[in-house]
Amino acid sequence: MVGLLLYLALGIGLLVFLWALARRKGAPVEGCGRQFVEARQALRTLQFGLLPENLIQRIFDPEDFRYVTAASSGKIGELFLQERTRISLMWVRRVRSEIRNLMHFHLAYSRLHAKLSLLTEIRLALDFALLLMACRAMRILLYLRGPYGARSMVRVLTATAGRVCAASEKSLAFLNTPALESFRRDSAGHGAAI
Amino acid sequence: MNTPAKHTDVLAAADDLRRRTLADMTQPLGRLIYLASTRDYNTGLYYHQGLALRFSEEAACEALADCHREAFEELVAASLEELVYELEAYLKSTRVAAGDFIVAWKGLEPYRVAVPVGIDSLASELVFSNLKVALAILEERLMARPKPGASLHPLPVQ
Repeated sequence: MVGLLLYLALGIGLLVFLWALARRKGAPVEGCGRQFVEARQALRTLQFGLLPENLIQRIFDPEDFRYVTAASSGKIGELFLQERTRISLMWVRRVRSEIRNLMHFHLAYSRLHAKLSLLTEIRLALDFALLLMACRAMRILLYLRGPYGARSMVRVLTATAGRVCAASEKSLAFLNTPALESFRRDSAGHGAAI
Repeated sequence: MNTPAKHTDVLAAADDLRRRTLADMTQPLGRLIYLASTRDYNTGLYYHQGLALRFSEEAACEALADCHREAFEELVAASLEELVYELEAYLKSTRVAAGDFIVAWKGLEPYRVAVPVGIDSLASELVFSNLKVALAILEERLMARPKPGASLHPLPVQ
């Protein structure tokens, strides 16, 4: 009787697994431009919004904290640390989110369109894994030690993210045709309209 | 505002803007607030009559937007010490009682509507956060050395 129940449970489990597999959307082989645009958006956000050296320098520079402790009371020092930890956590969260977007793009579409070598693909996979782990470790460090307790991790994270961005740039290079670039330069790209 | 301005016209208009109108505004914070005030809340477009007459409305708009972004980027790159100095200089330039200024800025956070279009939210959050701390430092200094006119009255809107 126990054996029968076990087999029944196993059967039901397999059916549920098959049903879940059938519901999963497979990556379309061609023609899904939205994913490319989203991946390029993620790449741009990383390159121009989250990884510029001066922004990272500004967020994690301990000089600001030294100034606050020298120029004001402990209460303001606490406020500053609280604020800077919040900003650092926001940065890690955003980097992680954009890296995940790029990873999904590479997993689902890049192998169908880009001509990346196997070695590059393996390197990229390792970099993605390292980045996600570094983001998690950094969040823990920021919670435990504050904004200035994870500076070496910031260096690892930015260097790896830079490599991933360079590889993604290659995969998405066909979207940056010279004609499109010159059109963008001459058009209202610098404009103010929302 | 339908036809895009030529890139060369925009560059020339921006150069003119920097040499004339913005020449006296040495601090990026002052420039940021001024340039944000030339933007229409409903359309997001910038207006400057003199610049539009000299060049075109489109070129003036894009030049103002470029200078606005430039001022904001300078604020992002500024250290906290520089920001406190800038805030103090801006406070002096407004000729408002220091206490009233701090109460208004802490309560209304007017800098939140002065962010140019297309700026990443992380950069703007960093500036807001630094301004919050800079205001606290400035307030503490003023409390330590009270001056006539520094009333620190609560705002009627609060």
